[in-house]
Amino acid sequence: MSDFKALSDAVIKGDINAAVAQTQQALEAGHNPHDVIDKGLVAGMDEVGNRFSKGQFFVPQMLRAAKTMQECMKLLHPLLKEGDVVSKGKILIGTVKGDLHDIGKNLVAMMLEGAGFEIVDLGVDVPPEKFVEKVQENRPDIVAMSALLSTTMPAMPQTITAIEKAGLRDKVKVMIGGAPVTEKYAQEIKSDGYASDAGGAVNKAKGLLGIP
Amino acid sequence: MDKELKQKRVRKKKEQLDFVWLHVLPKDLWLKVRRGETVWEALQPTDVEIGGDCGGLGKCGKCKVKILSPVGIPPIRERDLLTEDELDQGIRLACRTGLKRDLVVSTEEADSDQDYVQILTTSHTHGGRHLPVHYFEPLVEKRLVTVSGGIQVDGLADLERLRLAMGPAYQKLKSTLNCLQTLPEALRATGYDGVAVLHEDFLLAWQDRAEMFHQYGIVFDLGTSTLVGKLINLVDGVEVAVASCLNSQSRYGTNVISRLQYVRNHPRGVENLHRILIKNLNQLCAHLLETAGVKAEDVFVAVAAGNTAMQHLLLKLNASWIAEAPFTPVVTDGMAVRASETGLMLHPDAVLHVMPAKSGYIGGDLLGVILASGASEQEEEIVLGLDLGTNGEIFLGNGSRMMTCSVAAGPALEGARISDGMIAKAGAIQSVSFEGGDLHYLVVGNIKPKGLCGSGLVELVAVLLELGIIDHEGLIRRPRNKVARKLRSRVVRRGGVNDFLVCSADESFHGKPIYLRQRDVRELQLAKAAVAAGIRTLIEEMGVEIDDISQVYLAGALGNYVNRHSAMRIGLLPRFDPDKLVLLGNAAGTGASMVILSREYWQMAKALAVSIEHVELSWRTDFDDHFVANMDFPKDNALHLHNNEALNHIVSEVSVGEVMTTHYPTIRTTATVLEMNNLLRDTGRHGFPVLDENGRLFGVATIADLSRALEKGGNDLRVGEIATQELFVAFPDQLLDEVLGATREDYGRIPVVERDDMRCLVGVLRRQDIMKAYRLALKKATARENGCNEIPESDNDNWSEALNGARQGNGN
Repeated sequence: MSDFKALSDAVIKGDINAAVAQTQQALEAGHNPHDVIDKGLVAGMDEVGNRFSKGQFFVPQMLRAAKTMQECMKLLHPLLKEGDVVSKGKILIGTVKGDLHDIGKNLVAMMLEGAGFEIVDLGVDVPPEKFVEKVQENRPDIVAMSALLSTTMPAMPQTITAIEKAGLRDKVKVMIGGAPVTEKYAQEIKSDGYASDAGGAVNKAKGLLGIP
Repeated sequence: MDKELKQKRVRKKKEQLDFVWLHVLPKDLWLKVRRGETVWEALQPTDVEIGGDCGGLGKCGKCKVKILSPVGIPPIRERDLLTEDELDQGIRLACRTGLKRDLVVSTEEADSDQDYVQILTTSHTHGGRHLPVHYFEPLVEKRLVTVSGGIQVDGLADLERLRLAMGPAYQKLKSTLNCLQTLPEALRATGYDGVAVLHEDFLLAWQDRAEMFHQYGIVFDLGTSTLVGKLINLVDGVEVAVASCLNSQSRYGTNVISRLQYVRNHPRGVENLHRILIKNLNQLCAHLLETAGVKAEDVFVAVAAGNTAMQHLLLKLNASWIAEAPFTPVVTDGMAVRASETGLMLHPDAVLHVMPAKSGYIGGDLLGVILASGASEQEEEIVLGLDLGTNGEIFLGNGSRMMTCSVAAGPALEGARISDGMIAKAGAIQSVSFEGGDLHYLVVGNIKPKGLCGSGLVELVAVLLELGIIDHEGLIRRPRNKVARKLRSRVVRRGGVNDFLVCSADESFHGKPIYLRQRDVRELQLAKAAVAAGIRTLIEEMGVEIDDISQVYLAGALGNYVNRHSAMRIGLLPRFDPDKLVLLGNAAGTGASMVILSREYWQMAKALAVSIEHVELSWRTDFDDHFVANMDFPKDNALHLHNNEALNHIVSEVSVGEVMTTHYPTIRTTATVLEMNNLLRDTGRHGFPVLDENGRLFGVATIADLSRALEKGGNDLRVGEIATQELFVAFPDQLLDEVLGATREDYGRIPVVERDDMRCLVGVLRRQDIMKAYRLALKKATARENGCNEIPESDNDNWSEALNGARQGNGN
């Protein structure tokens, strides 16, 4: 584990050069790419999520860390064999209808991706029908919805209802987040989960899918 | 038993089950409330003032009430916004407390400091700009009219006689019904020789000649949090009286979105908010008229400027679609309606002009600001203007091209979403300075502090940045420099981050400590990043540079009270020559005053609303990029606060161990000079510490030593034979200036050894390290930070880690 501490630290610091160098070194030393990802990159991003939740890190630091991980993945990706990549699960994510806020949703998507989930990002202003259509198309494990305005929050229960009507509600877990959203609201609208920030979203997604 | 009676009883019983009683103290109000509603919902239709920014979402934690009935502990997830003490005392959040049975609650004493509210009611004339004489043409005018005898005799209608008497320009003169109902008596009482009160081609009233120079209008600045009214003498354009009050709609949330949410969720929401607004405005009018000794019937015209949502609510229009994409307002036209239709109590036929708007988020208030700035009346200079209130509106350009955008900046800048934030009323810290090693606060009303308002927040963060208590990434950390040593104990560790104690319980008004929490700094970062990104987006869209901007106008309360250096220090504003900044004061109100006095400006406002290019930032990814790029605080601002003092202190307290290089190549005494030559070439260094066979410090060998040896042809010499053994060394715990003061020699590298074992090498202090320490001190005298991003990548030593570790170790 400690073999990858320098790599994790470089990810946490968002030091792209150091992280890429560490990745190269790890590969040259004969480490399995999966280990480099899991024990180096993902471990680093976990810590980034923790620090973000506590308030030690803010958006720019988190984005820099995510970018660092992406650069390292460019080296690692060609080495992963087809079918070799074991996704932790597929997550469909989008900002609900009437709401154009992108950044918070992107942070969550990045952190989830960093934690090993496969992400299908539907973008912003996503109407309930589109969520349903994409659920049918992609068969995700989780549908994640974001709303930054109290006035667009009602699109969340509308989307859940639409998923229900399409007979898909028992096939996916639903999680929600965004500045005005609360745990209580999540319960009221029968969402399976709520997270207050991007780090929390990773833990919640793992929890929903029973991943330790 | 009679079946009907039985049903009645069942119904009655059911009704009793469905409702509970809420007894509200100290107002002694009994409310019959539907079971399951929250205390917050129950208090909404009443006059009871409770705090809160978020509109009952359970997010802000400010709608605290004391439950006097026995009450259980709320579930864990609802405890986060209350302290243990508060829970013990029965303090709960009104919005999270459901009414399951009868309850007695106590709300805080009614807010009695309305009088001290610091609302910007004055405006500044700038650059000698006054209303041009030829523009002076008030929206409502009075004309002396004499209906000659000839017209009186031939049985013409009274209104027709007036048309004839007033000449060809008034051939289409119309009249309100109300005016016609009293016209015959009025004409005859004045002997057909009197004053016509006219709005465009409408006759509003016929008055005695004595009323000719008795002519008033009222302008309203409809702010989300505050309302300002001005009574203006339309004869000479002078402001006769000014009054302001808090916007009572605030109990439905301090921001527009929360209020629109309320409108959306309640069938009578629009009416309710409209009614509250009109009540406030009528109170303002009554106050203004009483102050000036003017009767309501003397006021024939009013102009209102506000954000688009407020203007909608004034007209009882449903603005709720402004709150979601694509942000559709009902109307953006400039409107002239009968004031009485809105419920305003002026003359029954008075006309209310509501300013035109550009979009859902660019309202008549910003058009007023643009008018007040004069930016659109010239084409030579590029002007930037900011109205920083609850929402931030920005304009850039001039008469040939004007662009606007709107950013969600407000909450933090008006004290909302800040733990101990408040609007600028009595007890709000409005200004912060650092003198004599301690912080000093200027408080509204000159009482002990209750919290921070927007300007106080900006100044506090600017000062803490300067002192290194907040780093450029926004992290609160314990200061290490001597300048800020008195403040060290104010940095309090909590939940993995630090909070800053602004005032202790003893120092505050209410006996509760006032904190600047880490998450408050984050809120400010979001707000200032939004404003900065808005400015950046407009500048790029316009295709100009910051330096092309010749004037920067700041409007709104924050713009007027905040120190311009502080605003630039935190990056709310780009770095300008401070002389370019012009404070416009309550510019929306100024713009409205210009309109009431000039039909020309009313037309100009309407034309502006059409010609402005509005940039909707929500759709733009470049805005998002700028937004993120501006979230950190600026790093390398010129130091302007006690800079030399801070710099000297910091340099004097940087220790050798903090800046020395620990992974520095060394060479053995047994190596040959040729091996040393290779090492010099490979490492690019100019010299090495020399270690003996036991790895202990022997001396130093430099490129000069080597060249001397090679000149003498000593190709087979060993390093041990050419090394200098007389050494100037330093200790890790020594302070840098102590080391530098001890020698006049210019050493390229100084070996650093253990104090109690001078042959044990722990590192090397290089010339670059010393320079870096100075550079660091210079750059980071104010904003201390990790340091790792500052290190040139070519330096493959771990200086940064050493420094980083030292700082973190100390900071934690």
